[in-house]
Amino acid sequence: MRRTISLYLRFISIQLRSQMQFRASFWLDVFTTGLLNFSYFVSTYLVLERIGNIAGWSIAELAFLYGMIEVSFGTMDMIFSGFDPDVFSRFIRLGALDQVLLRPVNVLAQIFGSAFVLRRIGRITQGAVVLGFAFAHLGVHWTPLKLLYLPVVMASQVAAMGALFMAGSTLSFWTLQRVEAINVVTYGGVEVMSYPSTIYPRWLRGFFTYLIPFVFMNYYPALFFLDKPDPLGMPGFAPFLAPLAAGLMLFVTLRFWRFGLSRYQSTGT
Amino acid sequence: MATIIRVRKLHKQFQVLVRRAGLGGALVNLVKPRYQVVRAVNDVSFDLQAGELVGYLGPNGAGKSTTIKVLTGLLVPTSGEVVIGGLVPWQARERYVRGIGVVFGNRTTLWWDLPVIDSLELLQPMYDIPRERFRSNLAEFTRLLDLEPFLNTPVRSLSLGQRMRADLCAALMHEPALLFLDEPTIGLDVVAKEHIRQFILHINRARGVTVLLTTHDLSDVERLCERVLILDRGQLLYDGSLSSLNHRFESFWTLKVDFEEEYGDVALPGLEPPARTGLQAVYRFDHRSVPSAELIARLLERFRIADLEVRRPPLEETIRRIYQEKLLEREDADKRA
Amino acid sequence: MNMRLFFHVLKLAVLQQTTYRTALIAGLVTNFFFGLFRAAVITALYHQQGQINGLTLEGAITYVAIGQAMISFLFLFGSYDLMMTVYNGSIATDLIRPMPLFSLWLAKDFGAALVNLLMRGVLLLFFFGLFYKVALPPRAADWLLTALSLLLGWLVSFAWRFLVNLTSFWTPDARGIGRGAFIFSQLLSGFLIPLRLYPDWFARICHLTPFPAMFNTGMEVYLGAVRGAELWRSLGIQAVWFAALAGACFAMMRAGVRRLVIQGG
Repeated sequence: MRRTISLYLRFISIQLRSQMQFRASFWLDVFTTGLLNFSYFVSTYLVLERIGNIAGWSIAELAFLYGMIEVSFGTMDMIFSGFDPDVFSRFIRLGALDQVLLRPVNVLAQIFGSAFVLRRIGRITQGAVVLGFAFAHLGVHWTPLKLLYLPVVMASQVAAMGALFMAGSTLSFWTLQRVEAINVVTYGGVEVMSYPSTIYPRWLRGFFTYLIPFVFMNYYPALFFLDKPDPLGMPGFAPFLAPLAAGLMLFVTLRFWRFGLSRYQSTGT
Repeated sequence: MATIIRVRKLHKQFQVLVRRAGLGGALVNLVKPRYQVVRAVNDVSFDLQAGELVGYLGPNGAGKSTTIKVLTGLLVPTSGEVVIGGLVPWQARERYVRGIGVVFGNRTTLWWDLPVIDSLELLQPMYDIPRERFRSNLAEFTRLLDLEPFLNTPVRSLSLGQRMRADLCAALMHEPALLFLDEPTIGLDVVAKEHIRQFILHINRARGVTVLLTTHDLSDVERLCERVLILDRGQLLYDGSLSSLNHRFESFWTLKVDFEEEYGDVALPGLEPPARTGLQAVYRFDHRSVPSAELIARLLERFRIADLEVRRPPLEETIRRIYQEKLLEREDADKRA
Repeated sequence: MNMRLFFHVLKLAVLQQTTYRTALIAGLVTNFFFGLFRAAVITALYHQQGQINGLTLEGAITYVAIGQAMISFLFLFGSYDLMMTVYNGSIATDLIRPMPLFSLWLAKDFGAALVNLLMRGVLLLFFFGLFYKVALPPRAADWLLTALSLLLGWLVSFAWRFLVNLTSFWTPDARGIGRGAFIFSQLLSGFLIPLRLYPDWFARICHLTPFPAMFNTGMEVYLGAVRGAELWRSLGIQAVWFAALAGACFAMMRAGVRRLVIQGG
């Protein structure tokens, strides 16, 4: 295990070194991706200047929802770069997975180490800025439990969305092409999570509660942090389901991944 | 000698989707896919002894790559038994790959953006190679493969020949007992090819590494291999030495003779009259019924001769005929009948 | 300009684009679901209000639906094809064709846009209509004017994207520049949020740029929010922006090609 981790770190340092070869374009990329995502928040902000609130959530409260999920998604997108379905499907098509299988190192560690897109810090930074704005305007009533639970929630978000990336990548064992429809739950999931769940139609909310339990990742924890009542009448422990739901997603995905990999080894695509 | 590779009744089948054309066809494909079974490897058995250097030949699509992928653990076969160095390749993957080296001619294992030396140094922790061994191996391979001039060049800027040399070095740093080479000279020029071949011979002879090599280039095989396996459409057609292959199939040799004077015929049982042009005669004869030495002796005895040239058909010709005329299959059928 | 050549390239582009069927369907699915997500946000924005700044809820939902349907027709997320040809060198063969670079790409772009409109846009609106009430222009004349305005919108979008791509003649970082530039077009064109929902001061800033002419104008025409003289003025503004951007393209191209030729690519 220690050997695997130290090798993973070496793989990552290689990635970082080759990305820093083109320093100017790197920083331009960081800046523009940050700006792109920020513009989405700005457009919501501007509309709220006219309208006041969305489903009873003020701009600062929305900023909390948005900022938290953006920081987590950016972090996930960086750590799980190798499992980005776009990246991984190309990886398979180029036959790079064969090289991975020929090395005496854990396969997952190698895929995690095969890409680490550092320029995602642009997205993370803008998320952090918005989150900072939220904290500055909200006056959250912090308790020790809240302070302890915040990092747990964000780690759960990273794990849950990473699981979806992995699931999307696993599909390319069959298709060899990227499965674009997975974007609906990955990028779409982030979009959905950045607003209060009550605004979505029942069926969509059901989908993101029971099939892909994203409502427990952001909305319910936010209710807890901001001491807002739950209009949907879920049990009181709902805000604390995030780590459980994320663990479950990761577990199921890993099983699926293993199944996909064994399928790859029997079809020789 | 110890058996290092044991393959018995290896089968690998693929299901291939039969695609129907057009938009309508694409829809039908989705709803009711039709599959066709392709037997990429069909009942192949062979053994390799430690220290052998064996060529694995066959036309495109014969199943060479599939076999190599099974032997390296990348593919799980449909049925059959493979034991290599006491392990089943597709089980215990991490342990198995520690003991083998693999080079695919059309791909690299090295990190594209990194200088060659960085990729090589990464192998030390990856394979847990003792530092001393690592350093001495690196020094030796660097010298043999002449890597020094481009050790600090990023892999993406290497020529194909340089890259292949670096890849060979990378495949051997952990001192595997067994080396798989898939088309190691593909796309290389004559000089680069020769360099690679010398190196392969060296590690086989000096280090006793067992080598299984697939190639299109029969000059590789002639230069390197004593034993060849010939595969066609998934089936093993031939397993034996290169010289006996020559002996069995290169039956017609030609003898070109330039005489210094008017000449007559020599008579030997089974010898056809030559094609004549002026003072030159070209005999075409079956060397199994007409020994070439005897024919030449007869000619020298009776006539004054300016020049002689015996030509055997090149190996390529033989192999081509084996595939096209299905020589081996017919022979097997004869045996069975 | 040689019209026969133009239509020939257009036809090739259409055929080319129809071969990307899987991508078309995949894009359709993604655009559709994001449309649903965005419609939910719009609905929440309106909660009890019947209309905001002259735009009804149904109008705003229609606006979002058509926006999603037009992503692939107007290439609202930008396009990077021309800069690719500069970086991989294939622009050299395009430069020696008997057709100006601008019209060549105009034809290519229009071909792809048309296929996207028919195969992605129309289908998306159909499916969206199953979930939400999508308003339709009442009279035949409105349909015609909408078509004209969307066509002008596509021209403005094309010229803008062409201009951004031309930066690749000068810098190896055109992709990054493009990403930055296309953020502005998304935000200021009204694609993210109808411009009427923005505060007035911000909407006024938007209208100083060419971007509303890409999308917002077409939508206002579609929804019947502009009529009579104001409508003709809107169409006129679209045409003027296209002319201005195209002019900038030609000026930049002349300088860029000279530079490219001198440097030998």
